[in-house]
Amino acid sequence: MARRFAAILSLLCLLVPGGAAALDRAAILTEICSGDFRAQQTALESLAGAGAEAGREGALWARAVVQGFEGRDLRCGADAAFIDRSDGLVSAETLEPASPGGDLSAPSVNLRLRATAASAGFVLALFTEESAEARLRAAGRLDRRREAVSAAVLTAALETETDPAVAQAIGDIRTSLLLRDADPARRAEAIAAIAADATLRNRTTIAEALANEPDPAVQAAGKAALAEIDRTLAIGNALATLYSGASYASVLVLAALGLAIIFGLMGVINLAQGELIMVGAYATWFTQEAIRIVLPAALDWYLFIAIPVSFAAAALVGIAIEATVIRRLYDRPLMTLLATWAISLLLINAVRVGIGTQNLEFHQPGYVSGGFPVVGDFIMTSNRLFAIAIAAAAFFAVLALIRFTTLGMNMRAVTQNRAMAGAAGVDTRQTDRLAFGLGSGLAGLAGLALSPLYNVNPTMGTGFIVDSFMVVVLGGVGSLAGAVVAAFGIGQINVAIEPVYGAVAAKVIVLLLVILFIQRRPEGLFAPKGRR
Amino acid sequence: MAANDATGRVERPGLFRAVAAMMAAIAVALPVLGGPLAAGPAGISPYFANIVGQIATFALLAIALDLIWGYAGILSLGHGLFFAFGGYLVAMHMLKAGYAYNGVTPDVMTFMGWTELPAHWWGFESAPYALLLILLLPGLLAFGYGYFSFRSRVAGVYFAIITQALTYVAMLLMFRNDTGFGGNNGMTGFSTLLGFDVGAQATVVGLATVSVLVTLGVYLACGRLMRSPFGRILIAIRDDEDRLRFLGYDTLWPKLAVWTLSAVIAAIAGALYVPQVGIINPKLLSPELSIEIAVWVALGGRGALAGAVIGASLISALKFWLTGFAPDLWPFILAGVVLAIVTTLPNGLLDLRLPSLRARTARAAVAHAGARAGARAGARAGARAGARAGARAAARAGEPAAETGQGG
Amino acid sequence: MRRRSLLKGLGITALGASASSFPLPGLIRRAHAADTVKIGCLFSSSGTMANIEGRLNYVAQMAAEEINAAGGVLGKTVEVVVTDPGSDWPLYAQLGRQLIAQDEVASLFGCWTSVSRKSVLPVVEQNNALLYYPLHFEGEENSENVVYLNSPPSSSVLPAVEYLMSEEGGAAKRFFMLGSDYVWPRTINQQLKGYWTDKGFDPSAWREEYVPVGHSNFQTLVNEIRSFADQPGGQPIVVLTVVGNSIPDFFREFVNQGIAAFDVPVLGLDAVEADFEGLDTTELVGHLNCWAYLQNAPGPRNQEFLANWAAYVGANDVPFRPDVAIDPMVSTYDGVHLWAMAAEKAGSFDVPAVREASAGLSFACPSGYEIAMTMENTYVKRGVFIGSLNEAQGYDILWQSEGTPEPVPFSPYMNS
Repeated sequence: MARRFAAILSLLCLLVPGGAAALDRAAILTEICSGDFRAQQTALESLAGAGAEAGREGALWARAVVQGFEGRDLRCGADAAFIDRSDGLVSAETLEPASPGGDLSAPSVNLRLRATAASAGFVLALFTEESAEARLRAAGRLDRRREAVSAAVLTAALETETDPAVAQAIGDIRTSLLLRDADPARRAEAIAAIAADATLRNRTTIAEALANEPDPAVQAAGKAALAEIDRTLAIGNALATLYSGASYASVLVLAALGLAIIFGLMGVINLAQGELIMVGAYATWFTQEAIRIVLPAALDWYLFIAIPVSFAAAALVGIAIEATVIRRLYDRPLMTLLATWAISLLLINAVRVGIGTQNLEFHQPGYVSGGFPVVGDFIMTSNRLFAIAIAAAAFFAVLALIRFTTLGMNMRAVTQNRAMAGAAGVDTRQTDRLAFGLGSGLAGLAGLALSPLYNVNPTMGTGFIVDSFMVVVLGGVGSLAGAVVAAFGIGQINVAIEPVYGAVAAKVIVLLLVILFIQRRPEGLFAPKGRR
Repeated sequence: MAANDATGRVERPGLFRAVAAMMAAIAVALPVLGGPLAAGPAGISPYFANIVGQIATFALLAIALDLIWGYAGILSLGHGLFFAFGGYLVAMHMLKAGYAYNGVTPDVMTFMGWTELPAHWWGFESAPYALLLILLLPGLLAFGYGYFSFRSRVAGVYFAIITQALTYVAMLLMFRNDTGFGGNNGMTGFSTLLGFDVGAQATVVGLATVSVLVTLGVYLACGRLMRSPFGRILIAIRDDEDRLRFLGYDTLWPKLAVWTLSAVIAAIAGALYVPQVGIINPKLLSPELSIEIAVWVALGGRGALAGAVIGASLISALKFWLTGFAPDLWPFILAGVVLAIVTTLPNGLLDLRLPSLRARTARAAVAHAGARAGARAGARAGARAGARAGARAAARAGEPAAETGQGG
Repeated sequence: MRRRSLLKGLGITALGASASSFPLPGLIRRAHAADTVKIGCLFSSSGTMANIEGRLNYVAQMAAEEINAAGGVLGKTVEVVVTDPGSDWPLYAQLGRQLIAQDEVASLFGCWTSVSRKSVLPVVEQNNALLYYPLHFEGEENSENVVYLNSPPSSSVLPAVEYLMSEEGGAAKRFFMLGSDYVWPRTINQQLKGYWTDKGFDPSAWREEYVPVGHSNFQTLVNEIRSFADQPGGQPIVVLTVVGNSIPDFFREFVNQGIAAFDVPVLGLDAVEADFEGLDTTELVGHLNCWAYLQNAPGPRNQEFLANWAAYVGANDVPFRPDVAIDPMVSTYDGVHLWAMAAEKAGSFDVPAVREASAGLSFACPSGYEIAMTMENTYVKRGVFIGSLNEAQGYDILWQSEGTPEPVPFSPYMNS
C-alpha cells in the first residue's frame, strides 16, 4: 500500500513542472477541508512537495498548514480556512490575521492522515528549519519513512542544503530510493546505501527487494550486504543484552549497597530500605521543585544538585530510625525485622496521606531522556546509563570511604569482630549509627538514580527488599565487591532468561537459584571465613 | 519436679485455660445463636458468624507460627505460603467438585481457552483426596525445604528472609496464569463444599463453628505437646541451640518435626479460611500477610499459645472493624502497635506481668534438657556438661529476654 | 491465685472486646432513617488502584446529590456508604458482604479490575444483590446480579481494532499484544486472536506477551517490540493491556528507545488521562486508547457533566483534579442514575423488581450517546471512542462509532 502511495507521489512530482511559481493554495485548503479521506491525503502530499515546487516561502506556508492540521488548529469555514493560533485566528491561505464569519469546524484527522502529515512535516523541515541539527533530525526521521518521500523532492532539498552532514543524509535517503530503479548499478548503490545503517528494518527492506531481484550481480551484492548486517545485528543484540543486564544490575547494586553495609555491620535487616529509596526520590522531587522556583535556569541540572540532598534526607531519616528504634534492638535481630517493617508501613502511609498516591512528575533533562544508537539495533538509553553511572560512582565512593577513612576502618573492625573492636576502643554504637546513616543515604541516592527510570510514588520501594537482600546474601555478608558481582550475575542471568521464558519466569528462576545456592553455601560468594 | 513446673508456667495454665474456655463457649454459642435463635434478641447474623470463623482461622495460623517461632525460636516470614497452599488446594477441590457435579465452569478455563482442566487438577473432585493432599503436600514441602535449610544451619534472620523469598517466588508463580491456578484472579465462584451450598446461612454458621472447633482442638493438642519433653527440647533449641548440640542432642529432627507440624497447621487454617471468604488469590502470598502473622504472635506474646490466639484475634478484629469506617487510620495503628511492642514489651502482652520470671523459667528449660541429654548418653562427662550448662544458664538468667542471636 | 484470676480477666476482656467490636460498624454508621435509602460504594482509596479508582466514590456521591436535589427516589433521599477495599481483591468481597448484610444497601457500585469484580460476584449472587460495574471488561460473564455499565470487547475493543486495520486507521497488519497477566488481558487477547484468525490472518502476524501486574522494567520487551516491528509483513501496532503503574513505565521506555507513535502506534486499552500524570507526553503524541467516553466528547451533556464535576470538586474539597474526567467516572455516574430510574419505575427498591424495571431504560450519557439497558440481559449499550494522546496529557477523539453497538456478552471469537 505504502509503495503505491510512493509511486503516486513520485508520479505527481514528475507531472508537476519543477519549480513552479506558486501552489494553488485555495485548492489544497479546499481539499483538506473536504472531509474526504482521499482528497485530504492528496492535499497533504501536495503540501509535502511544496518545498520542491514553491521554494522556501512555499515550504514555510505548507509547514504552517501541516502543523495546523496535525495540531488540530486548522479551522474550516464555509469558503475559507483558518489557523487557530494562541494570539487569534489567521487565514490559512495568507497566514494574515483574519476574522471569519459563520461556523468553523476542525477537519477530521485519522491515523493514516496523521502519519502522512507527520511525514510531510519532516520533508518540509528540510526546507524550512534554520538549524542544521534540526534538519539532520528531520532527515533521520524521514529515513524511517522513505516511502513517503520522492527523489525529486530530495533533489530540490539538496540544492538548497548548505550543511555537508545534512546533505550527506539527504543524499543517502535519495540513493536508498533507487532500490526499484531500472538500472541494476543504481539498485546495487541503493542496497549499499541502505546497508550502511545496519538495522533490522533496513535488513527487511533489502531482503524484500532481493526477493524480486533479477540481476545476479545485485543479488550477490545484496546477499553480502545482508550477511554484513546480520553480523552487526548480532553484535548489537549481544551488546543490548549486556546493557540490559548491566542496567538491571545497577538498580540492584544501588538498592543493595546500603543494605549490605547495614546488614554486614549489624546483622540488621532493614525492611524499610525500600522506603528510604522512596525518601531519596521524594527529596529529589522537592529539590526539583525548589530549583524551579529559585533558579529556573539550572533546572536541567537538578539531578546533580539533588545528589547531596537525597543522600542527606535519607541519611537523616535513617539516623533517626537508628536512634529511636534500632538502638534498642541490637540483641534481637528478628525484632528489628518487625520494627523496620512497621517503619516502612509508617513511611509509606505518611507520604500517602501527606503528599498523595499519584506518581510524581519529573522534568526529564536531555541527559536522562531518549537514547543513542550504538551498533545495529542497540540503543543505549540515557536514563539507564545515568543509573549505571551513579551506581558505579556510589560503589567506588563507598569503597574509598571504607578503605581510607577512620569511619571506614572502624566499620571494618566492627564488622569483623564487634567485641574485639569495642575492646580496642572503637565506639561501636557511634560506628553503628554513622554506618546506618551511610547505608540509608545510599538508599536515598538510589532513589535519585531511579527517579528517571521508575514511577515515583509512596509504594515504589516495596519491590526492592527481597531482591536486594538476595544480592547481599549471595555476595557474602560484609563484602561490597561480592554484592556487585552478585548483582551483575543476577542481572545478566535474568536478562538472558527473560526473552525465552518471560519476565516472571526469569525472576522466579533467579530467586530459586539464589535460594538453592544459599542452602549449599550460606556464607555467600565472598564471605570471610569463620563468620556467622 | 521443679523444671516441669517451670515449663508449665511458661504457658501459664490459667490464661491457657481461660482462652480455651472462651473458644469452647464461642463454639457452642455460634450454632445456637446463629441457627435456631438467629432471629432472637441475641441472635447473630451469618455475616458476624463468618467474621468469627475467619478470625478463628487466623488464630489457628498464629498458633502454627508460635510453635516454631515462640517455642523453637525460628522465625518464618513465609507462613502465608502454607496458609495459601491449603487454601489453594481446598479451592481447587471446590471448583472441581462444582464443575464435576453441578456443571459450574471455572473462570480460569474460560479465559485461558481450555476445554478441560490441566493434569494437576486430577482427582480434586474427591473430598478425601483433597483433604489428604492438604495434609500431605504442605507438610512435604515444609519437610523438604526445612531439611535442607536446617541441615545447612540456615538460621535466624537468614531463615526468615529466605522463607519470605520463597513465598515471594510462589506469589510470582501463582500470578502467572499458565501455571493453571487462576493467576491474579485466583479462584472464586465456589458453589459447593461437601455437598452443602456455600452461600447458605447454615453452611456459613457451620463453617465458622467448625473453624473454632478445629482451632480449639489444635490449641489443646499443641498445648499438651509443648508441655511434653518434646516441647522442652524446642525451648532449649530456642534458647541455646549450640549448647544443646554440644550436649549430644541432634537438633535437626526436633526442628524439622515442629516446622513440618507448623506448616500443616497453617495449611489447615488456609483450608478453613478460603471457603469462608469465598476467594483465594496470590495476595495471600504477599509479604504483608506473612509479616502480619508474626505481628499477631509478637503482640500476643511468643512462646504462649494463648498469646498467639489473643494477638491474632485482637489485631484481626481491630482490622475488620477499622477498615470498615476508618481505613486510613489502620496502617498507622498497626505500625504504632508494632513499634510500641518491640521497643517496650519484648514479649508482647505477656510482658504486662513480671518478665523476669519468664526468662528464668526459659533458662531452666535449657538446664533441664541438658540434664536429660546427659542422662540419656549415660556418660559422666555428658552429665557434667549438662550440669555446667545448667549452672551457666542459671547464672545468666538475670538477663531480661530469652533471646540470642538466633532466637529473637 | 490473684494473679491468675487477673490474667483470666484480661484474656476474657481481650476476647470479649474483640468479639463485641464486630457489630460496631453498624452502630457507628449514621442511624437508618426511614426516609433514606442507602447505596454502597466499593472503590479503593488506598493501594495501587487508589489514584484512578478513588475518584469514583466522589462521582457516585455527586450523582446521588443530583438525584436528591431532584426529589430523591420514591420520595427517599439517597445516601452513599463509602468503603475502602484498599486494592485488596478479597477485601472487596468482605466489604461487599458487609455493605449488604450490615448496611442493607439497595445496590452496590464498585470494582475497577476484573479481579475485584470476580471476587464480589459470588457475594452478590448469594445474597441476590445488585452490583453496578463501571469498567469496560472482557465479557464472558452474564450474571443477573451485575449491571455491566461499560462495554464488553465486542462493542469496544473489536471496533477499535477493526478501525486500526482499516485503510483510514493505518491498515494495521501485525499485532504485538502486551498485557498484565490476569483475566482481562488474557481474555481480550484470546478474543483478538480468534477475531484475526476469522479475518484470515496467520498466527505469525501476532505475538503475545504477559508481564506480572506492577511490572516496571520493560527494557527487553520494548526491544522485542522494536524488532517485531522491523520485520516484514506490514504496519505493526501494539495492543497494550498492561494496567496501573506499568502503563507509564512502558511508555517511558518506549519513548527512550526512540519509537514514534507513527511508526508503531500503541492502543492502550486501559490507558486513561490519569496514567500520564508523571510523564511528559510531547513524545507520546499519537498513541491511542478506546473507551465509551472521552473527556473531549462533543455535546452539551458533557459540558454540563464537566461543569458539575468541577463544581463538586470545588465545593467538597475532593482530592482529585477538577478538570479531568475519565470513562469509569461517567459510567459510575450513569449507573447511579440508571439505578434511580429503575427503582422509580419499579416503585420499589427490591432487587428483582429493580432488575425487571431496568430492561430497556435509556439515559442521556455525557458521552453524547443515548445509552440504553438491553432488554434481554443487564448489559448497557454504549458508544465507542478512539482517542489519540495529545501534548496536554489528554485524548483527542480520533474516531467515534455511529450509534451504540449491541453488547455481546459471550464472544464468538473466544475459542476459535
